[in-house]
Amino acid sequence: MRVQKPPSDRALITTAVDWFTAQGWDPQKFQRACWQAYLQGKNGLLTAPTGSGKTYALLMPILLEALRMRSIAKQKRGLRAIWIAPIRALTKEIEASAQRAINDLGLDWSVAIRTGDTTASSRAKQKRNMPELLITTPESLHMLLAQKGAAELFSEMRCVVADEWHELLGSKRAVQMELALSRLRAWCPAMRTWGISATMGNMDQAMDVLLGSDPGERVLVRAAVKKVIEVSSVLPKDIRKFPWAGHIGLRSVDQVLPILQENRTTLIFTNTRSFAERWYQALLDVAPDLAGVIGLHHGSLDRATRDWVEQALHDEKLKAVICTSSLDLGVDFRPVGAIVQVGGPKNVARFAQRAGRSGHRPGALSQIHFVPTHALELLEGAALRMAIKEGRIESRIPYARSFDVLCQYLVTLAVGDGFRQEEVRKEISTTFSFNSVSDEEWEQVLAFVTTGGPTLLAYDEFKKVEVEDGVYKVLDRGIALRHRMSIGTITSDTSIRVKFLKGGYIGTVEESFASRLDVGDVFWFGGRNLEFVSIRNMEMLVRSSKEASGKIPSWLGGRMSFSSEMSVVLREVMDRTAKGITTDPEVKKLGPLLAKQRERSHVPQANELLVERIRTKEGHHVFIYPFEGRAVHEGMSALLAYRISLLGPISFSIAMNDYGFELLSEQEIPIRDAFDSDLLSTDHLRHDIERSLNETEMARRRFRDIAQVAGLVFKGYPGKAKAVRHLQSSAQLFFSVFEDMDPNNLLLRQAHEEVMTFQLEESRLRNALERIATQNIVITDPPSITPFCFPIMVDRLRELLTSEKLEDRIARMKAQLE
Amino acid sequence: MKRAVIQIRKEKLQLMPQKAMFWPTRKTLIIADVHLGKAMHFRRAGIPVPGGVEQLNLQRLEDLIVSTRPNEVLLLGDLFHSDLNSTWQGFIDLRAKHASTKFTLVTGNHDVLEEQDYTKAKLDTLPFLDRGPFHFSHHPTEHSSLYNLAGHVHPGIRMVGKAKQTIPLPCFFFGKTAGVLPAFGAFTGLYRMKRKEIDRVFVTVQDRVLRV
Repeated sequence: MRVQKPPSDRALITTAVDWFTAQGWDPQKFQRACWQAYLQGKNGLLTAPTGSGKTYALLMPILLEALRMRSIAKQKRGLRAIWIAPIRALTKEIEASAQRAINDLGLDWSVAIRTGDTTASSRAKQKRNMPELLITTPESLHMLLAQKGAAELFSEMRCVVADEWHELLGSKRAVQMELALSRLRAWCPAMRTWGISATMGNMDQAMDVLLGSDPGERVLVRAAVKKVIEVSSVLPKDIRKFPWAGHIGLRSVDQVLPILQENRTTLIFTNTRSFAERWYQALLDVAPDLAGVIGLHHGSLDRATRDWVEQALHDEKLKAVICTSSLDLGVDFRPVGAIVQVGGPKNVARFAQRAGRSGHRPGALSQIHFVPTHALELLEGAALRMAIKEGRIESRIPYARSFDVLCQYLVTLAVGDGFRQEEVRKEISTTFSFNSVSDEEWEQVLAFVTTGGPTLLAYDEFKKVEVEDGVYKVLDRGIALRHRMSIGTITSDTSIRVKFLKGGYIGTVEESFASRLDVGDVFWFGGRNLEFVSIRNMEMLVRSSKEASGKIPSWLGGRMSFSSEMSVVLREVMDRTAKGITTDPEVKKLGPLLAKQRERSHVPQANELLVERIRTKEGHHVFIYPFEGRAVHEGMSALLAYRISLLGPISFSIAMNDYGFELLSEQEIPIRDAFDSDLLSTDHLRHDIERSLNETEMARRRFRDIAQVAGLVFKGYPGKAKAVRHLQSSAQLFFSVFEDMDPNNLLLRQAHEEVMTFQLEESRLRNALERIATQNIVITDPPSITPFCFPIMVDRLRELLTSEKLEDRIARMKAQLE
Repeated sequence: MKRAVIQIRKEKLQLMPQKAMFWPTRKTLIIADVHLGKAMHFRRAGIPVPGGVEQLNLQRLEDLIVSTRPNEVLLLGDLFHSDLNSTWQGFIDLRAKHASTKFTLVTGNHDVLEEQDYTKAKLDTLPFLDRGPFHFSHHPTEHSSLYNLAGHVHPGIRMVGKAKQTIPLPCFFFGKTAGVLPAFGAFTGLYRMKRKEIDRVFVTVQDRVLRV
């Protein structure tokens, strides 16, 4: 019998080119580069924008390799490749693309999707017959690792593709991917890893995180697809009547209408879900004829509702959709002609990505309209245009040493077939996130899941992961069940599902909102007025109401801060504004406001740091404007307050926005002394920040997510709230109890580290302080509130820092109450 | 440790910074919501609450009994957090050291131990208790003639200062016809109370109790 030679790479690529030609497409350079590299057995990362053909750049060679394998020997059925998508909405399109090529190439591969939405029966079927290509999410991949017989399932794996890697990178989901990949690589050394990503400032690092210390060859492929983005601001008609703070841009609603009329479909992005709800309402108020042709899309709306909106977008049935970051990702909506961004996006990449959702035809222009929500925000419009023009784009900082994710992962493995600690120790040391974990830390993590950490108890009954013949396993079924329910790193507050009396889900609201409602109250949600009927088992029953209402649920979300790119461009715009050399229409419009700022205080140039002192009946205010973004201001203000408090007992409350921050005290603040004695120097920065952090509550807030990921706080199963009632507690409680009893706790330390890296962005803070050291300090005493300080003053989220003894403070508060 | 004194229906009650109440005329120590065994309950479910919480609670209880030398310890419910676990033995041992002191438990929603467990600890259990001008219960309630003293709520209050400073603290909270005690146990949360003009509120701060 003649043995057929397997096809060469060149022959395989010809097959791919032929198939492309048959579809009427031309393979692009980056696609060929990926095919080649993949067939040569390389790992890599492809950067390409959505809609550029990135899917086939990696889908194709996976299938080509299958053709080659088939020509060598008959293949067993089973899993060969996993495609990771960050959101479920993307999975269907990938499935369709894969199916199309598989059919045409005559492969007998099956393709399946597995996400949280996949039914139990489909999952069971998948377990018996795994598809060759599985499209899934990081969470569902971990669910597979928590199955018995997982190693067997993955034994023939050839490739994992992490799609939209930039979306995962700046989150703990990337850490989850790193851990899963480290195990898969150990099981199947022949496996390759590829990623697909939008452009970021740190592509090389992004690749290193994905590949870990995989010894195989690696390559970064960049698609040369350039898009032209046109940025324009919706300028308020009369700047003197435009609010200084605290609004959401509703005054510009009637100016947005013409944009809707000019385009087939418009996406209106808002920064929060409640803004989206209010914009939807406001649009209907000014243009009732839009009823039925505008849609609402945000993360708290029921999946079915969102699916309907997405489908209607495709079918060109909608004139506009008001949405949040929920539509940042996902399949392309070709009819979209223009984008509206309400309020500062805080981030150039996010803005560019949203802009890119319009104008999908080749060579088409992407149009984005920026709607400022308060006067000063106009500056951001000018800054964004400049950033887009100069091609500035943010880096995404990867998480490292996320012990909460590691704890969860170990229990996941223990729920599955169990693990040997020396093997996993070796595997995790190949990941970016955990390559610096010391033996001592590893022991602590193991102790955390096996003995529950240090305890002084004579009789302990801690039970989670147990060790049998060197294999770490979960034996208790209740623990295994609870763990499976909590796999994942996307945390949220306890939410209540909102349901019509007659049936049909609308979405979810936070428990705290639900608890403030009385029977009969009417609130606005999902684009309609709803009357609260009753609540039970975490479900709120409602009926439609004709009554209008002012109540709109708010969903807690982290407040976004300027990225470093955004703050750089904003400072440049500010400098040009101060020097009067700008031609931006936004700045021109701001003229009267800037004149007022000059008259009462000062408009600082790049070499100046503006400090304003104001006295009100609330106390002594000091405002400082570094224009570095909320995150950096948070650290800087705490640092300054702490250092001033070392000079003598004083308490502050602190507020900030992206432009500057405020210290407020009952006593006079010795701010000039502070600058004279160099209180913003970088000496002992880490030490002083940590000291001031202990007193503020940042780490405590950070701990909320950590406690949930590490499995300390269990959110309960749907409909079974009662069974776990006695296991309910809050991250706050854990934080306090760890601080008192186990201050060296790994998760507690992680909370502090995360604050330094992600919240305060220590390295940015350091750079900012160094920059300030070179600036002239300009202190003014405005006779009244200035346009700059007003938005900070009205901010209600405040930090507290004090050097006074708790008792003294209470006595003082008390004295005031009497 | 400085106590504060409140007079209710002509009876003087001492409020202690240890989050307990002492009634001198009856030499009774009154404590609510100890939630013993809570940490262990979590630990058994694989949630690593530091075990030291249990010892701390027992130790604080012991110290209080030694320093006040009461005739009776009156527990206003939620003494034990959930199903039986090894911490109960710790309570039995503690109780045995004070054989001449009477221990009474007005049961709360968390007190789900078997009758025999309470018997072992020589603990009298009652659904409520009327004594002097007071109606003691776990859940706050209205009584036609007596002043209600209860637990269950874990009352806390947010102190507000002039420069928008706030801080949450556990408190004793006395209304016109009923009062609630702070939760004694470590590893218990706070429920934020809304106060009216008439309410008398005392916060516990370190080693003092302050009227606010």
